[in-house]
Amino acid sequence: MAKAVSRRSASADLPKSSWIKKLRAQKQLMFMSLPIVVYILVFSYYPIWGWTMAFQDYSPAKALSEQKWVGFKHFAFLFTDEAFLRVLRNTVAMSLINMILGFVTAILFALLLNEIKGRFFKRTIQTVSYLPHFLSWIIVTGIVAGSLSVDGGVVNTVLMKLGLIGEPIMWLSVPEYFWGIVGASHVWKELGWNAIIYLAAITSIDPSQYEAAEIDGANRYQKMLFITLPGIKSIVVILLIMNMGWMLEAGFEVQYLLGNGIVVDWSQTIDIFVLKYGLQIGNYSLATAAGIFKTIVSITLIFAANTIARRLGEDRLI
Amino acid sequence: MGGYRMKKLWGGTSLALAAALTLSGCGGGDSNAADDGSGTLTISAFISTPNQAPAENNRIYQKIQDELGVKLNMEFLVGDLQQKLGVMIAGGDYPDLITADTKLVAAGAVIPLEDLIEKYGPNLKKHYEKDWNRMKDSSDGHIYWLPNYGAYTGEFQSNYYSGPAFWIQKSILKDAGYPTPKTMDDYLKLIRDYAAKNPAIDGQPTIGFTTLASDWRTFPLLNPPEHLTGHPNDGGVVVDNGVASVFADKDISKQYYKELNGLYNEGLLDKEAFVQNYDQYLAKLSSGRVLGMFDQHWNFQAAEDTLISQDKVGQTYVGFPLVYDSSIQDHYLDRPVINLNNGFGISKDAEDPERIIKFLDSLMDEKYQKLLSWGEEGVDYQVDDKGRFYRTPEQRKQQEDPAWKLANRADGFYAAAPKLEGTFDDGNASGPGNQPEEFYAGLRSEDKELLDAYGFKTWSDFFSPAPENPVYYPAWQIDLIEGSDASVANKQMTDASLKYLPQAVMAAGGKFDSVWEQYVKEFGKINVKAYEDRINEQIQWRIENWSTDK
Amino acid sequence: MNTKKIRPEPFVFHTLNGLLMVAIAVITLYPFLNTFAVSLNAGNDTIRGGIYLWPRVWTGQNYRAVFANGHILNAFWISVARTVVATVLSLFLTSMLAYTLSRKDYVLRKPITILVVLTMYFSAGLIPTYFLMKDLHLLNNFLVYVVPGLVSAFNMIVIRTYIQTLPEGLIESAKIDGAGDFRTFISIILPLCQPVLATVALFVAVGQWNSWFDTFLYASSKQNLSTLQFELMKLLSSSMNLNSSTAASSGANPGAAVQNMVTPVSIRAAITIVASLPILVVYPFLQKYFVHGLQLGSVKE
Repeated sequence: MAKAVSRRSASADLPKSSWIKKLRAQKQLMFMSLPIVVYILVFSYYPIWGWTMAFQDYSPAKALSEQKWVGFKHFAFLFTDEAFLRVLRNTVAMSLINMILGFVTAILFALLLNEIKGRFFKRTIQTVSYLPHFLSWIIVTGIVAGSLSVDGGVVNTVLMKLGLIGEPIMWLSVPEYFWGIVGASHVWKELGWNAIIYLAAITSIDPSQYEAAEIDGANRYQKMLFITLPGIKSIVVILLIMNMGWMLEAGFEVQYLLGNGIVVDWSQTIDIFVLKYGLQIGNYSLATAAGIFKTIVSITLIFAANTIARRLGEDRLI
Repeated sequence: MGGYRMKKLWGGTSLALAAALTLSGCGGGDSNAADDGSGTLTISAFISTPNQAPAENNRIYQKIQDELGVKLNMEFLVGDLQQKLGVMIAGGDYPDLITADTKLVAAGAVIPLEDLIEKYGPNLKKHYEKDWNRMKDSSDGHIYWLPNYGAYTGEFQSNYYSGPAFWIQKSILKDAGYPTPKTMDDYLKLIRDYAAKNPAIDGQPTIGFTTLASDWRTFPLLNPPEHLTGHPNDGGVVVDNGVASVFADKDISKQYYKELNGLYNEGLLDKEAFVQNYDQYLAKLSSGRVLGMFDQHWNFQAAEDTLISQDKVGQTYVGFPLVYDSSIQDHYLDRPVINLNNGFGISKDAEDPERIIKFLDSLMDEKYQKLLSWGEEGVDYQVDDKGRFYRTPEQRKQQEDPAWKLANRADGFYAAAPKLEGTFDDGNASGPGNQPEEFYAGLRSEDKELLDAYGFKTWSDFFSPAPENPVYYPAWQIDLIEGSDASVANKQMTDASLKYLPQAVMAAGGKFDSVWEQYVKEFGKINVKAYEDRINEQIQWRIENWSTDK
Repeated sequence: MNTKKIRPEPFVFHTLNGLLMVAIAVITLYPFLNTFAVSLNAGNDTIRGGIYLWPRVWTGQNYRAVFANGHILNAFWISVARTVVATVLSLFLTSMLAYTLSRKDYVLRKPITILVVLTMYFSAGLIPTYFLMKDLHLLNNFLVYVVPGLVSAFNMIVIRTYIQTLPEGLIESAKIDGAGDFRTFISIILPLCQPVLATVALFVAVGQWNSWFDTFLYASSKQNLSTLQFELMKLLSSSMNLNSSTAASSGANPGAAVQNMVTPVSIRAAITIVASLPILVVYPFLQKYFVHGLQLGSVKE
């Protein structure tokens, strides 16, 4: 694997004239990137003026100058609600579970699929595995709820037949199982989709490395461990750092569709909270305040993760 | 070699760019009300009830265009209404006609209609005569909306009962010799006895009673206490002597959920009742093994349709208006009320409000009302020699075909528009659904047998006749004002009920009371007063402003 | 080492691995087949539940309901157009940016990277974004489907990471040959990035194909700009609406069993099949770009 030696620090010591020379040499790079930067400023950064809503009692009916300013009222509502801590806990727990399960299963799946020799077989499995990605959550949760039913659901039936349980378990009524069920549903739906990126990365590994390893007498597992895995390590690390930033994005659809009153203390996420007390009752300001909070957390987390990655000598996001 | 592949992958670039440029040409140009010169007025409308756009040459819309010179350009809601209205209001562009939302009034998006109706809308004025005062906005006294339902003319006929009740399978009634349960005790005895005799139905275990609290469909779990105490459906409150109070944490509720707790421990309550989603609920009902439940009829109609198509009419349901004890007068059946804060308003962007009102007014003519509800004579319905309207079996059948409906019905518009309900001058019902002949044609022999045994003609006869509505009724129509303390409290109360009621009901033996105490304590933390105050304030307002109604 | 001899260990591994893959295929294929079966089963029979892999009461009614809509063909072509245009443009611009940010000595590398990465973690909200589209005259304009999502930070990072794994020597040698950055990007980087470009193309295409929210917000009053997903959403919402209280007044006779009525569940199934089949064929097509050893060939060139 070619890992370029960092030459960043070198530029700091150069005299001014070579700076100008460097800028001139990078003219093309600037032509290629700056128009896109302008585009990003316009489409992503310019609308952030909307964040002022978080400090107002925003009403779409009024012009910007007529809005009532309320300071940190909406943030206060968020942080003082006694449910909020619990909701935060659920959100972090579920996104961690989803992240870890998602990463481990997708990488394993990609590695094992890569070992399949028959090209047609391999492609078929690959295509089939990403099918559930195209189903909406309402269909997937419908099937999940049906399978977990005590009323002839396949999970209970199989476990009973195997003698593992004496009588059907009402899975969706046990708060402690909820996170796991959400995690498993995610794996089911997104396994194949998540693996695509790793399958693409595996193709970048130089085949001569495998040949060399074989000559050295490496077995299959050693090759996986010492060639394939390091070969996709940089994308794994980068994706991990990026995902850290989404720690507060556990979504709301699955939890909303699978949740019920009994498990509500374990199923509510920030997004559901905001949906209920913000968007559903026309309170855009609360939704914006929650968005700002999430952004601050995200940015802190990715910079932290990035720093850790740098200390460990791994690839970095930034 | 890579280069060759790349060419294929990138081959479409120039083609795609060309396509982008061509297609972008279609942009711009809003189509607000405009006379295109031929005298045809195009009215744009936004309708917040989802629907599909009608077929290009829809027969009914075409007829309206030919005869009234109006072409309707309708957009139906897809997705979330609040988001749609949010951007519509922020952007400040409105279609000519728009369906009601209190936000739009606050934003000054709609114009007052009372003068326009007085001047150009004699039919509309007559149609809304009785409800004129109620239609005035509680904040400024103007009329902004033309309610789409609830203004009745002639005789009000209701054969089908779509409201709330405790439902019980017809075969149980037959088995027990057609009794009339009046209280919870009578009702549960019927269920217990039948469940004891029939531990399994069609090979699956019998479920004595079930309930539902999934998504927004929480009324099967939350509403029974108000009905059991003889109150009508006022939503989250009971109103006594003009004063509304929340009942969810009161003793009248405790009594009901304690009863359910007993049923649960007896094994008669569906174990999955609080976990199931709507689809699972319907699946259970349509398996024919659920003996009873509390619900509103329209909410489980689909399951009954399925039972009928399996020839299991005996396992469809009859609703009874149960009360806690027989001294209480039941008030399940209510008189129709005007559907306030619904229907069309005219936006400030409409260029010719006068013509729009005239158009809506001409549609109130019975001729067009018949066209919109029954369709065209000879095509969609027949008239017998006594002047009664009816449909042939083929005509009924074609109403079920979605493709046919898109080309031959104007349902999308009709649902939102002002409409005649009750009976026409010639005595026919305002729609096929209310025509008695059509109702009897739909009854199965088992149904007729059952109705005969009770000596009733329709399903509504099982309920006490609806008394005169109090002026302020119904309280659930009261706007809580978005984002207010009242609306936050409302959400919090629902959350607390959905969390604690299942725990209480599923509590083992003696634990019910302690869970109930926790529940009441949780309720104590909510600003229930803000919610009650808002409702009481509006009830008082209604009493003051509406009492002059005839 | 004699590798020709069949050893028991690979045999066991391949068998187990093959079985595992088949098992995964079965459980991931099931929901799709189940949806397919539901889409071919009569709506009011589906309510009973218990449909798994085979319809119980066959009907074409659900698909008839989908295709009854006269606007669906035009919407299909708009969907195809937006998907093709956006995928091609996005792939080009995103990978170009990724290339520049993969150059370790590029002086603007760090500030631009931070600027781009941060966009993944905030959203300005519905209303300010709506105003932006309005000010740029993108409302009711085909370009509103393409322009706002042209450069995705996530995809850029994925491509950048891939470029960074390429041997640095390739780029160096191109530079020595006198090629500028743009030419290096076009003639060396792009061909070498096929697997990752195919992956990102899939991401963009699927995202474009599935999106309906932009139509809802920015182009809903323009029927000829409606997309397939949006038309299907309309159908789904109207079928859900139909089953509630309005049925009583809309002319159908409740209580009398409606035999061929479509239900939300069955409509949703048919819609899912109709909406996903066209995009599903994209993946197998792109798979041929997932090929090993491209770089090796290039280095030898």
